[in-house]
Amino acid sequence: MLVRFREAFQEFWRLKVSKVGVVFLMILVFLSVYVVTSYPLDFGVRYWNNPAYWADYPKSAPPSWVNYFSDQKLPEHHVFIYNKPSDIISTESGRTLLYVFRLDFQADKSPTFISFTLENLTYYSDPLVARLNVTRPDGKNIELYRYIAPAPYAGESPPYKRFYDSPKRISITGDISVASVLARFLLREYNVSIKPSEINSIGQHTIVFSIPGPDKEFYVLKGEYIFMVSINTYDSRDYVGEVKLVIGGNVYGFMGTDSLGRDLSIGLLFGFPIALFIGIVTSTITTLLGAGLGIVGGYVGGKVDEVIQRAADFVNNIPLLPLLIFLAFILGQNMWILVFLLVAFGWPTLTIIVRSMVLQLKSSQFIEAAISLGAPRLWIMFRHIFPQVAPFIFAQLIFFTPTFILLEAALSFLGLGDPTMPTWGQILEYGFRSGGIYVGLWWWIIPPGLLIIWTAITFVLIALGMEPVVNPRLRRMK
Amino acid sequence: MGLARTLSMRALTLVAVLVLVVFFMVIILGATGTSDKILQAMVNEEVMMLRQSLAKTIKDPQELERVINIRKQELMEFYGLTKPWYVRLPDMAWRVLTLDLGKARTLKTFAGGNKVSDIVIERLTNTIILVTSATIISALIGLVLGVRIATKVGGILDRISSYMSAISYAIPTWWIGIILIMVFSFLLKLFPFGGLYSAPPPSDPYLRFLDLLWHSVLPVTTLVIASVGVWIYTTRTIVLNTAQEDFVNAARARGLPEELVRRRYIMRVAAPPILTNVILGLATSISGAILTETVFNWPGLGRLFYDAVLVMDEVVVIALTYIFTLVYVVARFLLEVLYVTLDPRVRY
Repeated sequence: MLVRFREAFQEFWRLKVSKVGVVFLMILVFLSVYVVTSYPLDFGVRYWNNPAYWADYPKSAPPSWVNYFSDQKLPEHHVFIYNKPSDIISTESGRTLLYVFRLDFQADKSPTFISFTLENLTYYSDPLVARLNVTRPDGKNIELYRYIAPAPYAGESPPYKRFYDSPKRISITGDISVASVLARFLLREYNVSIKPSEINSIGQHTIVFSIPGPDKEFYVLKGEYIFMVSINTYDSRDYVGEVKLVIGGNVYGFMGTDSLGRDLSIGLLFGFPIALFIGIVTSTITTLLGAGLGIVGGYVGGKVDEVIQRAADFVNNIPLLPLLIFLAFILGQNMWILVFLLVAFGWPTLTIIVRSMVLQLKSSQFIEAAISLGAPRLWIMFRHIFPQVAPFIFAQLIFFTPTFILLEAALSFLGLGDPTMPTWGQILEYGFRSGGIYVGLWWWIIPPGLLIIWTAITFVLIALGMEPVVNPRLRRMK
Repeated sequence: MGLARTLSMRALTLVAVLVLVVFFMVIILGATGTSDKILQAMVNEEVMMLRQSLAKTIKDPQELERVINIRKQELMEFYGLTKPWYVRLPDMAWRVLTLDLGKARTLKTFAGGNKVSDIVIERLTNTIILVTSATIISALIGLVLGVRIATKVGGILDRISSYMSAISYAIPTWWIGIILIMVFSFLLKLFPFGGLYSAPPPSDPYLRFLDLLWHSVLPVTTLVIASVGVWIYTTRTIVLNTAQEDFVNAARARGLPEELVRRRYIMRVAAPPILTNVILGLATSISGAILTETVFNWPGLGRLFYDAVLVMDEVVVIALTYIFTLVYVVARFLLEVLYVTLDPRVRY
């Protein structure tokens, strides 16, 4: 048995398609393991389908590498998060926590917005005071914003905890006090008189990132910007959990974002384990069930065979997708239900083929010998018949896998995917339903499709490589 | 006699499949409580109409309530809502079989009606137009190329086609459709994004037909791309196997012209198994149609399916599942009639 397996493997490994297929499969498995071990399993519910989590991300932003292919460099989206201050200055009244964010800005357009967020603040005596300063490449410094944490309520005793439930997000863009600060700045530094309301409509972020011309037009100022959040504390036990600064851009990350601002690279990454799981698990169960019924039907014959054959013929005569849509719609969208349904409708093809193979085997001499020695039926089926058809069954397992991956994707695309986890089909579905394909958001539409194809092709390649090994005619000639 | 017997056996099997599918659906609907919901909606609909018509004649509100309640009880009785779901299984199955499913909640016919059977039936033609034209084109390309490749096995075209058919097995049809839209509609602006006609549709029937053709290019292409690989590959394999038979060699040895050998000796024998493959591929082309129509907003049954799922219109989903099974069964039967005509050996 072992020798035969080794021979079969050598035969398989000789082909180029097998090698490519196996390498692809290893990459897929590696990525899946990485995702499962490094992301929380409730990622879909907690983050992916939670719009609040993606509020600070740019909407429908292409990947940042598009800048390499265009003349006009678009600003990249930056999210800076600090859990610890980068520096602490002690003064007589207490300590000042400094958070420094450096941004080398080289785009031809100014960013789309600026915001900063404070989370998990604790103070014991006086409320914390936070300031946001920016030092521009031309050396000019602006104090953009000052924020004082809410004072203690009547009857509240220290420690005073603020923003533990939901973070405090301060949008510099659209803030009228920032607009007046900037109006004064422009008047002082450039002798440009402009009303705060006008600044508000131009956008505070545009003013911060540019130099005014003579006719109130603004030219982007490139170079290094240093944003600094300084927080004054008045007690040694005061604590600041997290400071986040977001400089909004038009391009984001490696794969871009969708129209809700979701980082597509994470969603696409999450699709790997789900596609592999649905493909392999469904295929394995289907193959075992289908082959088992085929062996039993073919070998036992009689009434049992008749029933199995009728059932197989019945299921085989049903148009699969409409009924799958019906069932997924009525029974609810859940991955386990889907696996069950795919198995329930997938087994007959294999049953019919395996049965005819078993019928041939049944009349062969070694089976007759086993019967005449008085071997029980189960023993014969398991020890004599199964090993003969096993390689073929295994090849079918591989061959069926892409079918199930594609079916899951198709159902997801029709809006019947499991809503608790992101899949490639669902990413495409949302891209289609929200009209992304009609405005050419290619980074949203092309990658998930390519990943589906890549995963499916991996199994097709392996199946092609196994063909000469398991083709019964070739095997018998040896 | 043999012919009629074979065909009626097939017809019986297919009818049995249809009935079983409907019963299976109805059991699921009953067990999940969905059928209660549907019948209740039908009762409520009638009660509402009754209230409107009675409100004019009966002025006393209490009397009105009493009359309506009696009528409502009668209706509940009539629809079987007072009995458990498994008792009214046959009744519900009959409803599905005759498409007597009441009114759709939000979906409408093109004219604005909301009777489920009307909505479904008027869309049927559009689906049939799409699927048949795509199948005919795939068949023509597949047969011509398949036969040609079979004469030059191992050539470049042969290798390309076998790789293509393997790859097409791994590509989702609907994604091809999306890519076609992005390239030919969005980028190159050559074809419309979707739909059946431009808005407003041209009034001249000739222009109207051209408009339809223009709109059908991308969806038909998508379906053809999805199925042509398999057509070529199976045609090639079957023709190749037939061409190696002794009687073909014998025909050639007799000096018959190659064209005649191909047409009478090879194709005549190869046609039935090729057709078998078409029959087996039928379910796939129906699935392909659902997804392709969705992508191209083609107002057929498939797009209706997507819309019904989107707005959670159960009755339409049920009607469509049934209609798709019906169309499948009918198409399959027609193909089997063709099969029996092509291959006299089947008539035993």
